[in-house]
This record gives sequence, C-alpha cells and structure tokens, in this order.
Amino acid sequence: MDDPLTTPSIDLKGRRILAVDDDRINLRIIGGILRHEGYEIAEAASGEQALEVYATFQPNLVLLDVMMPGIDGFATCRTLKKNYGDKCAPVIFVTAKSEADDVVMGFDAGGVDYLTKPFRPKEVVARIRTHLSNQQLVEQQKDLVQQLSKANAAKDRFLGMCAHDLRNPLSSIRGLAELMDENAIGELTPEQREIIQTIHGASQSMLQLVNELLDVATIEAGHLKLEKVPTSIVEIVERSVHLSNIEAAKKNTKIEMVTGGLDPIVDVDRNKIRQVVDNLINNAVKYSPRGSIVTVLIHSSGTVAGFAVRDSGPGIPESERHKLFKDYGRLSTVPTGGEKSTGLGLAICRKIVEAHDGTIGVDSVAGRGAEFIVSLPLHK
Amino acid sequence: MNFSGSILLVDDEAHIRKFISLLLRHLGVSRIFEAQNGSIALEVYKKEQPDLVMLDVNMPVMDGIETLRALKQINPDCVVVMLTSLANRQTIDEAVALGAANYIRKDAAPEEIGRALSSTIDDCFAPDEPEEGAPPA
Repeated sequence: MDDPLTTPSIDLKGRRILAVDDDRINLRIIGGILRHEGYEIAEAASGEQALEVYATFQPNLVLLDVMMPGIDGFATCRTLKKNYGDKCAPVIFVTAKSEADDVVMGFDAGGVDYLTKPFRPKEVVARIRTHLSNQQLVEQQKDLVQQLSKANAAKDRFLGMCAHDLRNPLSSIRGLAELMDENAIGELTPEQREIIQTIHGASQSMLQLVNELLDVATIEAGHLKLEKVPTSIVEIVERSVHLSNIEAAKKNTKIEMVTGGLDPIVDVDRNKIRQVVDNLINNAVKYSPRGSIVTVLIHSSGTVAGFAVRDSGPGIPESERHKLFKDYGRLSTVPTGGEKSTGLGLAICRKIVEAHDGTIGVDSVAGRGAEFIVSLPLHK
Repeated sequence: MNFSGSILLVDDEAHIRKFISLLLRHLGVSRIFEAQNGSIALEVYKKEQPDLVMLDVNMPVMDGIETLRALKQINPDCVVVMLTSLANRQTIDEAVALGAANYIRKDAAPEEIGRALSSTIDDCFAPDEPEEGAPPA
C-alpha cells in the first residue's frame, strides 16, 4: 500500500527567485530585501541572460523589469511561457510608477502581478510571499491529487481482489445449502431445514453484495467493457418484466410495460442495460407497498430513447435525492417486504448508463412514488 | 439427468469439488473422480478413462488451458467442460478453440449448472443419427 497522505506545511525559506533588471542598483536593493527573507536569489541583467539563468536556476518565481535593452520584459515573459508552459514560474513585472499602461500589457504577456519602482520593501515582501504560497499550494494540491488517485486505484484493486476471492467460497456455501435443502444428502428435520435455508439466504445476499462490489471495482478501475449492438429497448424491458413478475408475485405486486406503440432501437451492451432494467424494476417492487402496480414506460424523442420505471412507494424526499446515485447511498426509506439493500445498485446503474453516454434521473413527489428515467442515444 | 457415464472433476478448491460432486450425485451421476490440479488430473484420466472432464481454469501447478491441451493430446475426442469463476471471454474463447465442449460458471446456482451440464451431455453423447436434411451418402 502507498504511504499515508501527507500535507507539508508551507515554508517558503530557500525558494528560488530570479531577479532580472538592467539596473545594477535596483538588483542590489531587491536582492538585499529578498535574501533577508531567506530566499535564494539569482540575478540577470538582460532578457537574454534571464532565459539562460532560468534554465539552470529553475526559479520558483521571476521578478522581471519591463524596460530593458535587447528583448524587453514582456518578450522575455512570453518566451518563458512558451518554453515552460504550465510549469513556468509565476512572473511579477517591475515597472516605473508612471507606466500604468505597462501593467495591462504585462498581464497580457502572462504576468501574475506587478511591483512599482521605487520599491517599498514591505510591499515587495508581501506580494512575493503571496505568489510563492499560491504556487506552493498548487504544487501540493497536484501532489495530493496524484496521491489520492493512486490510493483510490489501490483500493479498487484491493476491493476487486477481495470480492473475487470471496465469490467462489460463497457460491459453494450457497450451492451446498441449496442441495441439502433439496434433500441431496437425505431428508432433513424441520429444524435442520430452517437452518439450511438461513445459510442459503445469508450466503445469497452476501454473494449479491460481493458481486456488486466487484461491479463497482471493475467500473471504477475503468475496466467496464461494453459490447454494443443495436437493441430494441422493448425487447430488453419485456424480458425483465416477465422475469421480475415471478418474484414480484410473492408480494402480490404486478409489473406492466407501456410501449405507447414505440419500439426504439439503441446501441447498447445488452447484459449491462438488462442489469440496469432489472435493478430499477427490483427497486420499484422493493419499495412499493404489497399489491401495487409498477409501470415501465418506453419513451423516445429526438435523438434519445429509453424507459422510465414508476413505482407507488413512499417517493424520495428532495433532501435525500443527491445521495441516490452515489456509492453506498442508502436513504431513509425501507423496503416493504424485508428485502436487503447494499446501497450500490443505483450507483452501478448510473455508471453503466453514463458509460453508454446516456443519462439517469429521478422524478419524485415524496409520498406519491418515484419515477426513474433512463435515456440513451438512439441508434443512428 | 440422462447420463450413465463417469466424470472427472478437476479443481484446486476443495469446497468447489465438494459442491460440484454433491450436485453431480444429486443429478444421478454415480462414478465421480476428483483431482486437485492438472497434472494429477492427467494421471487419473489415463487410469480411469472418464467420459467427461469438468476442468477448472485457474489452478496452480498446471492450469486449465494447459491441462486441456494435454488431455486433447491423450484423447482428441475427450469431452471437457471448463469451470470458470468470472466469465473471462478471452480464456473461454481459447478453451473453445482448443476443443472444450462448453463452459460453466461455478458461481451459478445449482439448477443452472445442472442445466448447462445436461445440454452439453445431450450434445456430446446423443446417439449418432444422420443429420436432418443431410444429403444421402
């Protein structure tokens, strides 16, 4: 595993500043002020020399006089920006008080600030400190983002490995329990049967959790491979509705499809989209009261088509809607038939739909059910 | 299941062998041999000449693909069903290209595993009949 994240404190001592001025007295004054602050200083007397010194000194900040013989400050700044791009140190222009127009041109050339001559030491110190801190914060942030994305990738790998290695033993436990329940090793006593059914149920829900974790890890690691083929949404929904109705009948719930005469074709990975349809329908059944009706509506307009799953559950409170499609985002609403929830289903749905360049959203009035709408680009 | 032959079950994980062999017995298969890796499987295969081999893909010592290759060298007609945990398309394609008859996800429910096995057995051990619509010899 990677080292724990570190956020170094801001210490600007030893930071390198390149001061460029054709006036030696000015250089001596500014050099004196800055060395006193603990910075390391390099000097250049012209734009040309500044470019040379920059290459070897690699400063954290450049103080650049505007008016110089040869290439002037603006041209020097533009060359630096061109040569070093995003990695170029911030440039502060040094200009006489009377040359206010210079300031605007300086910002155009890529400068971050300006100082006017004659110098007021406190102003010089304060401005330089600000820019050096800014720059250091940006560097730290970049480092941090890099560390975080590495840590996140390691977590996903770990999660994937765990889930993968847990699957086989879990499927064996579930399978053995199921076989025993079918009297594969002989007739069971009622108590034995109850225990075996408990083992079967528990391993079944663990297996589902592990599969969902594995899905998340696969998707997060960018390994979600889509095998897209032109597909009828109606066909996919029809199959899911048919299979889900068997399970829903236990709660006396009925699932209906309304096509409105539409039969749109989309380019999708059938298994993945089927997973989304199944998940949304199962959720609808899970959160609807016994004996209610879940409706799946086909829609198509313009360049998108899809389906909407409408339930008659408690709906989703506005205040919780932001949690809905996030990993482990479980809400205050509870399943009506004691079903289990991992809080990953909708997050997986969102990731699958987005991988298809589609959108998933929810429309809901608390107390009057929810409608989950999936839209996918139409087949061209 | 309508199958009177013998099956060699190869998997390095004992719980998988326990699960699949109980399933096979439940389905009425009475002669089941087990091996925990590819090289033992080859020994058992030569000695017992089973009618069908169920072969795990990921195994130490000698993996499923290597074992499949060796089995086909011993007997080009041997019927092998691969056991996989995750459907790894590439490995499955490779196994099919080497002559595997089918593949079964071992994380599937017993009923589903039974169904897949039955259909393979029907395909591979059906009595030879002239194909429908085949031109007369």
